[in-house]
Amino acid sequence: MNKKTLADVFVEGARKGWNLGVANILPNVLMAFVLIQMLKVTGVLTLMGKFFGPVMGVFGLPGEAITVLMGAWLSMGGGVGVAASLYSAKALNMTHVTIVLPAIILMGAQVQYMGRLLGTAGVQTRYYPMLFGISIMNALIAMLIMRFFA
Amino acid sequence: MSTEPKKDSSIVEEIKVPWYGYVALLFAIVFFSGLFAKSKGWITVFDFNTINGTYGVMKDAAKATFQGQGGTGARDGFLFALGLVPAVMLALGIVEVVDHLGGLKAGQKLLTPILRPLLGIPGIAGLALVTSLQSTDAGAGMTKMLRETEAITEKEKTVFCAFQFSAGGTITNYLSSGAALFSFLTVPIILPLAVIVVMKFFGANVMRLYLNRVEKGDAVNE
Repeated sequence: MNKKTLADVFVEGARKGWNLGVANILPNVLMAFVLIQMLKVTGVLTLMGKFFGPVMGVFGLPGEAITVLMGAWLSMGGGVGVAASLYSAKALNMTHVTIVLPAIILMGAQVQYMGRLLGTAGVQTRYYPMLFGISIMNALIAMLIMRFFA
Repeated sequence: MSTEPKKDSSIVEEIKVPWYGYVALLFAIVFFSGLFAKSKGWITVFDFNTINGTYGVMKDAAKATFQGQGGTGARDGFLFALGLVPAVMLALGIVEVVDHLGGLKAGQKLLTPILRPLLGIPGIAGLALVTSLQSTDAGAGMTKMLRETEAITEKEKTVFCAFQFSAGGTITNYLSSGAALFSFLTVPIILPLAVIVVMKFFGANVMRLYLNRVEKGDAVNE
Protein backbone atom coordinates (compact mmCIF):
# COMPACT_ATOMS: atom_id res chain seq x y z
CA MET A 1 0.00 0.00 0.00
CA ASN A 2 1.28 3.45 -0.82
CA LYS A 3 1.53 6.49 1.41
CA LYS A 4 -1.98 7.80 0.79
CA THR A 5 -3.95 8.22 3.97
CA LEU A 6 -7.53 7.00 4.10
CA ALA A 7 -8.64 10.61 4.21
CA ASP A 8 -6.86 11.22 0.90
CA VAL A 9 -8.51 8.16 -0.59
CA PHE A 10 -11.92 9.26 0.61
CA VAL A 11 -11.43 12.74 -0.81
CA GLU A 12 -10.42 11.20 -4.14
CA GLY A 13 -13.66 9.21 -4.19
CA ALA A 14 -15.69 12.21 -3.04
CA ARG A 15 -14.18 14.22 -5.89
CA LYS A 16 -15.28 11.54 -8.34
CA GLY A 17 -18.72 11.87 -6.77
CA TRP A 18 -18.69 15.63 -7.23
CA ASN A 19 -17.66 15.35 -10.87
CA LEU A 20 -20.28 12.68 -11.52
CA GLY A 21 -22.89 14.73 -9.70
CA VAL A 22 -22.20 18.00 -11.46
CA ALA A 23 -21.27 16.74 -14.92
CA ASN A 24 -23.71 13.86 -15.17
CA ILE A 25 -26.50 13.65 -12.63
CA LEU A 26 -27.37 17.33 -12.37
CA PRO A 27 -27.85 17.95 -16.12
CA ASN A 28 -29.73 14.67 -16.56
CA VAL A 29 -32.04 15.33 -13.64
CA LEU A 30 -32.64 18.91 -14.73
CA MET A 31 -33.49 17.65 -18.23
CA ALA A 32 -35.97 15.21 -16.72
CA PHE A 33 -37.64 17.93 -14.63
CA VAL A 34 -37.91 20.17 -17.70
CA LEU A 35 -39.40 17.33 -19.72
CA ILE A 36 -41.98 16.55 -17.05
CA GLN A 37 -42.82 20.25 -16.72
CA MET A 38 -43.44 20.38 -20.48
CA LEU A 39 -45.59 17.25 -20.39
CA LYS A 40 -47.47 18.69 -17.43
CA VAL A 41 -48.31 22.12 -18.82
CA THR A 42 -49.35 20.64 -22.17
CA GLY A 43 -51.60 18.10 -20.48
CA VAL A 44 -49.77 15.22 -22.19
CA LEU A 45 -48.75 13.79 -18.82
CA THR A 46 -52.40 13.39 -17.79
CA LEU A 47 -53.16 11.73 -21.13
CA MET A 48 -50.23 9.34 -20.73
CA GLY A 49 -51.39 8.62 -17.20
CA LYS A 50 -54.82 7.59 -18.49
CA PHE A 51 -53.54 5.68 -21.52
CA PHE A 52 -50.87 3.65 -19.72
CA GLY A 53 -52.86 3.33 -16.51
CA PRO A 54 -54.10 -0.23 -17.16
CA VAL A 55 -50.65 -1.56 -18.18
CA MET A 56 -48.75 0.08 -15.35
CA GLY A 57 -51.48 -0.95 -12.93
CA VAL A 58 -50.21 -4.53 -13.23
CA PHE A 59 -47.07 -3.35 -11.44
CA GLY A 60 -48.97 -1.33 -8.88
CA LEU A 61 -48.03 1.93 -10.58
CA PRO A 62 -50.02 4.82 -12.08
CA GLY A 63 -49.86 5.30 -15.86
CA GLU A 64 -47.56 8.31 -15.55
CA ALA A 65 -44.81 5.95 -14.36
CA ILE A 66 -44.25 4.86 -17.98
CA THR A 67 -42.32 8.12 -18.40
CA VAL A 68 -39.89 6.97 -15.70
CA LEU A 69 -39.08 3.82 -17.67
CA MET A 70 -38.75 5.74 -20.93
CA GLY A 71 -36.41 8.23 -19.27
CA ALA A 72 -34.40 5.43 -17.67
CA TRP A 73 -33.86 3.71 -21.00
CA LEU A 74 -31.97 6.79 -22.20
CA SER A 75 -30.07 7.43 -18.96
CA MET A 76 -30.41 6.28 -15.36
CA GLY A 77 -30.10 9.85 -14.13
CA GLY A 78 -32.95 10.78 -16.47
CA GLY A 79 -35.17 8.00 -15.12
CA VAL A 80 -34.40 8.95 -11.54
CA GLY A 81 -35.05 12.61 -12.35
CA VAL A 82 -38.42 11.81 -13.92
CA ALA A 83 -39.36 9.73 -10.86
CA ALA A 84 -38.32 12.50 -8.47
CA SER A 85 -40.16 15.10 -10.52
CA LEU A 86 -43.35 13.01 -10.57
CA TYR A 87 -43.01 12.52 -6.83
CA SER A 88 -42.63 16.25 -6.41
CA ALA A 89 -45.77 16.72 -8.56
CA LYS A 90 -47.56 14.12 -6.38
CA ALA A 91 -48.14 11.81 -9.37
CA LEU A 92 -46.06 9.11 -7.62
CA ASN A 93 -45.98 8.27 -3.93
CA MET A 94 -43.26 6.57 -1.89
CA THR A 95 -44.58 3.08 -2.61
CA HIS A 96 -44.48 3.77 -6.35
CA VAL A 97 -40.92 5.10 -6.17
CA THR A 98 -39.84 2.00 -4.23
CA ILE A 99 -41.37 -0.30 -6.87
CA VAL A 100 -39.83 1.50 -9.80
CA LEU A 101 -36.26 2.09 -8.50
CA PRO A 102 -34.77 -1.36 -9.37
CA ALA A 103 -36.39 -1.17 -12.81
CA ILE A 104 -34.72 2.18 -13.50
CA ILE A 105 -31.31 0.62 -12.86
CA LEU A 106 -32.01 -2.73 -14.56
CA MET A 107 -33.15 -1.26 -17.88
CA GLY A 108 -31.27 2.00 -17.45
CA ALA A 109 -29.03 3.66 -20.02
CA GLN A 110 -29.39 0.80 -22.50
CA VAL A 111 -29.09 3.17 -25.43
CA GLN A 112 -25.68 4.28 -24.14
CA TYR A 113 -24.51 0.85 -23.07
CA MET A 114 -25.21 -0.60 -26.51
CA GLY A 115 -22.07 1.18 -27.69
CA ARG A 116 -20.14 1.40 -24.45
CA LEU A 117 -20.56 -2.25 -23.44
CA LEU A 118 -21.84 -4.43 -26.29
CA GLY A 119 -19.81 -2.54 -28.89
CA THR A 120 -16.62 -2.49 -26.84
CA ALA A 121 -16.85 -6.18 -25.89
CA GLY A 122 -17.65 -7.06 -29.49
CA VAL A 123 -20.92 -8.89 -28.89
CA GLN A 124 -22.44 -10.10 -32.16
CA THR A 125 -25.22 -7.75 -33.22
CA ARG A 126 -27.69 -10.59 -33.78
CA TYR A 127 -27.86 -10.96 -29.99
CA TYR A 128 -28.70 -7.30 -29.39
CA PRO A 129 -32.51 -7.70 -29.49
CA MET A 130 -32.28 -10.62 -27.08
CA LEU A 131 -30.04 -8.61 -24.72
CA PHE A 132 -32.37 -5.60 -24.78
CA GLY A 133 -35.30 -7.94 -24.21
CA ILE A 134 -33.65 -9.59 -21.21
CA SER A 135 -32.93 -6.24 -19.56
CA ILE A 136 -36.51 -5.05 -20.01
CA MET A 137 -37.80 -8.40 -18.75
CA ASN A 138 -35.50 -8.08 -15.72
CA ALA A 139 -36.97 -4.66 -15.02
CA LEU A 140 -40.58 -5.84 -15.33
CA ILE A 141 -40.03 -8.86 -13.07
CA ALA A 142 -38.20 -6.66 -10.54
CA MET A 143 -41.26 -4.38 -10.33
CA LEU A 144 -43.50 -7.38 -9.67
CA ILE A 145 -41.14 -8.53 -6.91
CA MET A 146 -40.96 -5.03 -5.40
CA ARG A 147 -44.76 -4.89 -5.17
CA PHE A 148 -44.53 -7.39 -2.31
CA PHE A 149 -41.99 -5.35 -0.36
CA ALA A 150 -43.00 -1.76 -1.07
CA MET B 1 -7.04 34.89 -59.93
CA SER B 2 -7.36 36.87 -56.76
CA THR B 3 -8.76 35.19 -53.74
CA GLU B 4 -10.86 38.13 -52.62
CA PRO B 5 -13.95 37.78 -54.82
CA LYS B 6 -13.95 34.01 -54.43
CA LYS B 7 -14.03 34.37 -50.67
CA ASP B 8 -16.90 36.83 -50.89
CA SER B 9 -19.05 34.63 -53.07
CA SER B 10 -18.41 31.62 -50.87
CA ILE B 11 -19.59 33.57 -47.86
CA VAL B 12 -22.78 34.49 -49.65
CA GLU B 13 -23.38 31.00 -50.96
CA GLU B 14 -22.55 29.07 -47.84
CA ILE B 15 -25.41 30.39 -45.74
CA LYS B 16 -28.02 27.77 -46.45
CA VAL B 17 -30.68 27.56 -43.82
CA PRO B 18 -32.95 24.54 -43.63
CA TRP B 19 -36.64 25.30 -43.04
CA TYR B 20 -36.46 24.11 -39.46
CA GLY B 21 -33.77 26.70 -38.82
CA TYR B 22 -36.42 29.40 -39.13
CA VAL B 23 -38.83 27.44 -37.00
CA ALA B 24 -36.12 27.14 -34.34
CA LEU B 25 -35.42 30.88 -34.47
CA LEU B 26 -39.10 31.68 -34.20
CA PHE B 27 -39.37 29.28 -31.29
CA ALA B 28 -36.40 30.89 -29.53
CA ILE B 29 -37.85 34.36 -29.93
CA VAL B 30 -41.23 33.26 -28.61
CA PHE B 31 -39.71 31.16 -25.83
CA PHE B 32 -37.56 33.94 -24.43
CA SER B 33 -40.02 36.77 -25.18
CA GLY B 34 -42.40 36.08 -22.35
CA LEU B 35 -45.25 36.36 -24.86
CA PHE B 36 -47.18 33.56 -23.19
CA ALA B 37 -46.17 34.35 -19.62
CA LYS B 38 -49.70 35.34 -18.69
CA SER B 39 -51.37 32.61 -20.74
CA LYS B 40 -52.98 29.53 -19.34
CA GLY B 41 -52.94 25.90 -20.44
CA TRP B 42 -50.71 24.02 -22.88
CA ILE B 43 -49.48 27.12 -24.70
CA THR B 44 -47.35 27.99 -21.66
CA VAL B 45 -44.95 25.25 -22.78
CA PHE B 46 -43.55 28.03 -25.01
CA ASP B 47 -42.77 30.25 -22.04
CA PHE B 48 -39.29 30.27 -20.57
CA ASN B 49 -40.42 31.16 -17.08
CA THR B 50 -42.99 28.39 -16.94
CA ILE B 51 -40.45 25.77 -17.91
CA ASN B 52 -37.81 27.29 -15.64
CA GLY B 53 -40.38 26.86 -12.91
CA THR B 54 -40.17 27.97 -9.29
CA TYR B 55 -38.08 27.17 -6.29
CA GLY B 56 -40.09 25.53 -3.56
CA VAL B 57 -40.98 27.57 -0.48
CA MET B 58 -40.38 26.64 3.12
CA LYS B 59 -43.91 26.14 4.35
CA ASP B 60 -43.62 23.27 6.74
CA ALA B 61 -40.85 23.58 9.29
CA ALA B 62 -40.41 19.79 9.32
CA LYS B 63 -39.73 19.75 5.59
CA ALA B 64 -37.93 23.07 5.38
CA THR B 65 -34.90 21.93 3.40
CA PHE B 66 -33.33 24.39 1.00
CA GLN B 67 -35.28 22.73 -1.81
CA GLY B 68 -38.51 23.92 -0.23
CA GLN B 69 -41.90 22.54 -1.17
CA GLY B 70 -44.01 22.79 -4.28
CA GLY B 71 -41.28 23.88 -6.68
CA THR B 72 -41.48 23.07 -10.41
CA GLY B 73 -39.42 22.83 -13.58
CA ALA B 74 -35.71 23.39 -14.09
CA ARG B 75 -35.29 25.30 -10.81
CA ASP B 76 -36.86 22.57 -8.72
CA GLY B 77 -34.79 19.97 -10.59
CA PHE B 78 -31.60 21.92 -10.02
CA LEU B 79 -32.06 22.20 -6.27
CA PHE B 80 -33.15 18.59 -6.09
CA ALA B 81 -30.05 17.42 -7.99
CA LEU B 82 -27.80 19.74 -5.99
CA GLY B 83 -29.23 18.16 -2.86
CA LEU B 84 -28.11 14.77 -4.16
CA VAL B 85 -24.48 15.64 -4.60
CA PRO B 86 -23.43 15.11 -0.96
CA ALA B 87 -24.90 11.58 -0.96
CA VAL B 88 -23.03 10.74 -4.16
CA MET B 89 -19.77 12.21 -2.84
CA LEU B 90 -20.15 10.33 0.42
CA ALA B 91 -21.02 7.04 -1.27
CA LEU B 92 -18.19 7.17 -3.79
CA GLY B 93 -15.78 8.30 -1.08
CA ILE B 94 -16.65 5.21 0.95
CA VAL B 95 -16.45 2.92 -2.08
CA GLU B 96 -12.99 4.33 -2.82
CA VAL B 97 -11.83 3.62 0.74
CA VAL B 98 -13.28 0.08 0.67
CA ASP B 99 -11.55 -0.53 -2.65
CA HIS B 100 -8.28 0.88 -1.29
CA LEU B 101 -8.43 -1.47 1.70
CA GLY B 102 -8.93 -4.46 -0.57
CA GLY B 103 -12.65 -4.90 0.03
CA LEU B 104 -13.42 -5.39 -3.63
CA LYS B 105 -10.58 -7.89 -4.01
CA ALA B 106 -12.18 -9.82 -1.17
CA GLY B 107 -15.46 -9.79 -3.06
CA GLN B 108 -13.69 -11.03 -6.15
CA LYS B 109 -12.08 -13.89 -4.24
CA LEU B 110 -15.40 -14.96 -2.78
CA LEU B 111 -17.06 -14.83 -6.20
CA THR B 112 -14.42 -16.69 -8.18
CA PRO B 113 -15.34 -20.28 -7.23
CA ILE B 114 -19.06 -19.72 -7.71
CA LEU B 115 -18.97 -18.06 -11.11
CA ARG B 116 -19.08 -21.40 -12.97
CA PRO B 117 -22.27 -22.60 -11.29
CA LEU B 118 -23.87 -19.14 -11.20
CA LEU B 119 -23.15 -17.94 -14.73
CA GLY B 120 -21.33 -20.77 -16.46
CA ILE B 121 -18.22 -18.66 -16.86
CA PRO B 122 -14.74 -19.40 -15.50
CA GLY B 123 -13.52 -17.91 -12.22
CA ILE B 124 -10.89 -15.90 -14.07
CA ALA B 125 -13.70 -13.52 -15.06
CA GLY B 126 -14.16 -12.59 -11.37
CA LEU B 127 -12.12 -9.40 -11.56
CA ALA B 128 -13.97 -8.26 -14.68
CA LEU B 129 -17.27 -9.00 -12.96
CA VAL B 130 -16.45 -7.01 -9.83
CA THR B 131 -15.05 -4.20 -11.99
CA SER B 132 -18.20 -4.15 -14.13
CA LEU B 133 -20.24 -3.49 -10.99
CA GLN B 134 -18.25 -0.29 -10.55
CA SER B 135 -17.76 0.86 -14.12
CA THR B 136 -19.53 -0.31 -17.25
CA ASP B 137 -16.68 0.87 -19.46
CA ALA B 138 -13.91 -0.75 -17.46
CA GLY B 139 -15.89 -4.00 -17.30
CA ALA B 140 -16.46 -3.94 -21.06
CA GLY B 141 -12.76 -3.39 -21.71
CA MET B 142 -11.76 -6.28 -19.45
CA THR B 143 -14.33 -8.58 -21.04
CA LYS B 144 -12.88 -7.81 -24.44
CA MET B 145 -9.41 -8.68 -23.11
CA LEU B 146 -10.65 -11.97 -21.64
CA ARG B 147 -12.04 -12.98 -25.02
CA GLU B 148 -8.94 -11.87 -26.93
CA THR B 149 -6.71 -13.96 -24.69
CA GLU B 150 -9.14 -16.87 -25.11
CA ALA B 151 -9.74 -17.00 -21.37
CA ILE B 152 -13.45 -17.23 -22.15
CA THR B 153 -15.33 -18.59 -25.17
CA GLU B 154 -17.57 -16.52 -27.41
CA LYS B 155 -20.62 -18.09 -25.78
CA GLU B 156 -19.34 -17.30 -22.28
CA LYS B 157 -18.63 -13.75 -23.36
CA THR B 158 -22.19 -13.32 -24.61
CA VAL B 159 -23.65 -14.64 -21.33
CA PHE B 160 -21.25 -12.44 -19.37
CA CYS B 161 -22.34 -9.40 -21.39
CA ALA B 162 -26.01 -10.21 -20.69
CA PHE B 163 -25.07 -10.02 -17.00
CA GLN B 164 -23.29 -6.68 -17.44
CA PHE B 165 -25.80 -5.09 -19.82
CA SER B 166 -28.71 -5.06 -17.39
CA ALA B 167 -27.95 -2.56 -14.61
CA GLY B 168 -24.47 -1.77 -15.93
CA GLY B 169 -22.08 -0.21 -13.39
CA THR B 170 -24.55 -1.40 -10.75
CA ILE B 171 -22.95 -0.17 -7.54
CA THR B 172 -21.82 3.21 -8.83
CA ASN B 173 -25.13 3.90 -10.55
CA TYR B 174 -27.22 2.73 -7.62
CA LEU B 175 -25.25 4.85 -5.17
CA SER B 176 -25.15 7.89 -7.43
CA SER B 177 -28.24 8.17 -9.63
CA GLY B 178 -30.30 5.81 -7.50
CA ALA B 179 -29.39 7.71 -4.32
CA ALA B 180 -31.72 10.45 -5.52
CA LEU B 181 -34.65 8.27 -4.53
CA PHE B 182 -33.29 6.81 -1.29
CA SER B 183 -35.19 9.25 0.91
CA PHE B 184 -38.49 8.20 -0.71
CA LEU B 185 -38.06 4.45 -0.18
CA THR B 186 -40.39 2.44 2.04
CA VAL B 187 -37.82 -0.38 2.34
CA PRO B 188 -34.16 -0.56 3.45
CA ILE B 189 -31.75 0.75 0.80
CA ILE B 190 -30.13 -2.66 0.38
CA LEU B 191 -33.35 -4.41 -0.70
CA PRO B 192 -33.79 -2.89 -4.17
CA LEU B 193 -30.06 -3.46 -4.75
CA ALA B 194 -30.46 -7.14 -3.83
CA VAL B 195 -33.37 -7.46 -6.26
CA ILE B 196 -31.23 -5.84 -8.96
CA VAL B 197 -28.33 -8.26 -8.43
CA VAL B 198 -30.64 -11.30 -8.37
CA MET B 199 -32.27 -10.17 -11.63
CA LYS B 200 -28.85 -9.64 -13.25
CA PHE B 201 -27.99 -13.27 -12.58
CA PHE B 202 -31.46 -14.37 -13.67
CA GLY B 203 -31.23 -12.50 -16.98
CA ALA B 204 -27.76 -13.83 -17.73
CA ASN B 205 -29.02 -17.36 -17.15
CA VAL B 206 -31.89 -16.81 -19.59
CA MET B 207 -29.22 -15.96 -22.16
CA ARG B 208 -27.15 -18.98 -21.08
CA LEU B 209 -30.15 -21.28 -21.43
CA TYR B 210 -30.98 -19.84 -24.84
CA LEU B 211 -27.44 -20.30 -26.14
CA ASN B 212 -27.22 -23.84 -24.77
CA ARG B 213 -30.57 -24.89 -26.19
CA VAL B 214 -30.70 -23.07 -29.49
CA GLU B 215 -27.04 -22.95 -30.44
CA LYS B 216 -25.37 -26.21 -29.56
CA GLY B 217 -21.63 -26.31 -28.95
CA ASP B 218 -19.62 -23.16 -29.37
CA ALA B 219 -21.12 -22.48 -32.78
CA VAL B 220 -21.26 -18.86 -31.71
CA ASN B 221 -17.63 -18.64 -32.76
CA GLU B 222 -17.86 -16.70 -36.02
